[in-house]
Amino acid sequence: MTGTPEAPGTAQEPPKKRSKIFRWRAIVPLVLLVILLVVGWILLLDTLVERGVEKAATAIVGAKVDVEEADVQLDEGAVVLRGLQVTNPDQPMKNLFEAREIVANLRVGPLLEKKVVVETLAVRDVRFGTDRTESGAIDNPSPESRRLWREVNAWADQIRIPPFSLEGIGRAVVNVDAISPDSLATLAHARAAVALADSMRTTWEQRIQALDPRPQIDSAQALVVRLQNANPAQLGIQGVTQLVTTSRSTLENVTQLKDRIASLDDQVRDGVGDLRSYVQEFEATKDADLAYARRLLNIPSLDAPSVSPALFGETAVAWLKPVLYWVKAAEEYLPPGLDPRRRSGPKRARASGTTVQFPGRATYPKFLLEHGEAQLAIGGEGVAAGNYAALLQGLSSAPAMTGPMRIFAERTEAAEGPRQLRLSALLDHGQQPIRDSVALFLAGVSLPSVDLGAFGGTLNLGTGTSDFSLARNGDQIAARLFWSSRSIQWERSAAEAAAAANAEIGSTAWAKDLLWRTLAGLNQVDVDMKLSGSLDRPAVSVSTNIAQAIAQSLRRALGEEIDRAEQRIRAEVDRLVADGVQRAQAAVSQLIAELPPEVAAFNTEIGQVEQLLQDEIGKLTRLPGGIRLPGGR
Amino acid sequence: MYALIKLIQSLVKALNSEGTPGQVAVGMAMGSALGLTPVANIHNILILGAAMVLNVSLPGVFLGWALFLPLGFALDPVFDEVGRALLLDTPALSGLFSTIYNTPVLALSNLNNSIVLGSLVGWVVLFFPIFLLCRGLVTLYRRTVYQRLRHMKVFKAVQASKVYNWYKMFRP
Repeated sequence: MTGTPEAPGTAQEPPKKRSKIFRWRAIVPLVLLVILLVVGWILLLDTLVERGVEKAATAIVGAKVDVEEADVQLDEGAVVLRGLQVTNPDQPMKNLFEAREIVANLRVGPLLEKKVVVETLAVRDVRFGTDRTESGAIDNPSPESRRLWREVNAWADQIRIPPFSLEGIGRAVVNVDAISPDSLATLAHARAAVALADSMRTTWEQRIQALDPRPQIDSAQALVVRLQNANPAQLGIQGVTQLVTTSRSTLENVTQLKDRIASLDDQVRDGVGDLRSYVQEFEATKDADLAYARRLLNIPSLDAPSVSPALFGETAVAWLKPVLYWVKAAEEYLPPGLDPRRRSGPKRARASGTTVQFPGRATYPKFLLEHGEAQLAIGGEGVAAGNYAALLQGLSSAPAMTGPMRIFAERTEAAEGPRQLRLSALLDHGQQPIRDSVALFLAGVSLPSVDLGAFGGTLNLGTGTSDFSLARNGDQIAARLFWSSRSIQWERSAAEAAAAANAEIGSTAWAKDLLWRTLAGLNQVDVDMKLSGSLDRPAVSVSTNIAQAIAQSLRRALGEEIDRAEQRIRAEVDRLVADGVQRAQAAVSQLIAELPPEVAAFNTEIGQVEQLLQDEIGKLTRLPGGIRLPGGR
Repeated sequence: MYALIKLIQSLVKALNSEGTPGQVAVGMAMGSALGLTPVANIHNILILGAAMVLNVSLPGVFLGWALFLPLGFALDPVFDEVGRALLLDTPALSGLFSTIYNTPVLALSNLNNSIVLGSLVGWVVLFFPIFLLCRGLVTLYRRTVYQRLRHMKVFKAVQASKVYNWYKMFRP
């Protein structure tokens, strides 16, 4: 080790001997290394499972999932997870749910295929909506989760919640000059209708000009007359043959012309249909303009359907956002069919790449919970305390292999809180179109508080019922969340109460006080929130009995004043759009009156000429007794 | 740490005192797998095991690992493309990958990941060129650089130190 080594390639090199291929002395260290790896793996297995569950669940939920401890008994195929906390992605300081212990019995064989098949699952001591000691938000959610939340947030951001303001309500000052004609949708629509009519007129006239049917029709009519006067005996066989040949050529031209005119006629009919639809939309655009003008003048709508979204729109969006996320996530993680699936690879120092799953020839999917009978004991003194029985069948990452997934849950014994809980779900992701249906009914559940800023107070919904249903068919979704409570509390801020005491009649504070007294008289609140339409951009609708009460109360107190203001606005909007609408209607009516009849007349006329030509050719080529002359068909 | 270094040194001394340029080059080519492909995968354990059992230079393996590690990071986009092409755009191979994905133990190989597959294929393709290149470079080193270095005082001092053990793999 310390001596000077021999220089490579010197004269005193020992004779070369054949190198051995195997280094048998390394077998022992190698075996020791393998044993070391296996022992290390066994020792670290609990930690690996803990981290694996946290990682996979975090990727699905899109927020932090913590496992306090994992205990794996490979020989028994048992995995026990303790202290599971799943963060609510929308409220990082709250848990979606927390479970004290989850016991799963696994099939060991599929683990060698990196697949998890859970035979039975028991979840104990579950609590919902618990507080977290630290935020569960994650900086880098999985690409799938990030994309889903981006889509859901983009959808939520484009929803316009109409404002509800009582400013100036008592005075009802109407300054119609504030309504800008440039901002009126009806005028823009009218201009577009005129442009569309002009464009259609130009196109159709050019096509009629290009077809130029009149000379051909006249020529064909002349030929019909000639055929009617033709005498086969005088013409002879050659003359008849020539005449028939000429007639057939004309007939072909006439048929082609007829097809072209028929095509134009169809186009004109479609165009006329479009124009009529366009004109019919004026009513809708006028309504939109009226709503715009009302917003401009701070005059609240007295229609209950307009008040409901203003009061509960934000609440509805906040509660329906997770619904949309989970529906999309269910499709993402439980996709239909057996085609290869792409997922982003594991996070590591190297690039993650793409991991492709090939469920096609598999015996088991990547994840399967065959049959879970869970006894959910929700402890403590919270409203959810009690025992629940849940049954879950066929939760699988490849539903095409395992069939629909079913979930049922029912409260068997109530310690506190909800008297009743019923959950049923059927997720049919075997093939397209995907069909999901979920129904969750809770009675005696704690409902949230809703900020009613426009009235200077808060509505605490207290304990009531929550009825949730969801139906998805392909890309169509219909979800409904209905809250009903009889134990409501109206909480008004001290400042608002003080302002109301000295309020001048007709002032904003007076209007707020008026409405607050109306609301305080209500002892039941129903809120119905709906999500419907295409999964990409579903529409949200909200209705509540509070809105009806507010609308009625406002109508009683301010109805005449606001009606007068609305009439002035309506008159002003009508005045501003009248000319434009009239011009558009005139342009469309004129076009519809002129060109379509002309095209239709050509179509009829050419059809008649074609028929006459066919008849005359037939007569000329058919002798008595069914004998046909040359050229006859 | 010292004990670990001593252990490695003694392992090197015991297992690899007769390293020829060919043995060093094979070791480096095998070690390049650890650098080119994501290290925490079954194929790397097999390669490491093979390197221990076969009479190749173990320090060469570690040198190959160290040398090719940055290259592996740099080539990740290429490996990703290769892997995706094989996994997703080659219908003829989908049956093979489906079988691998659904076969016990083989499924643990992570060959369904584009980076793992692409880099492994890349390493297989580059194995022989790496071997030839390394063998040429080691031979050249021993004929030229080593001859000059061996007379330098610093080098003699290094030779006397533990660090020299790492250079022993270049000895004939």
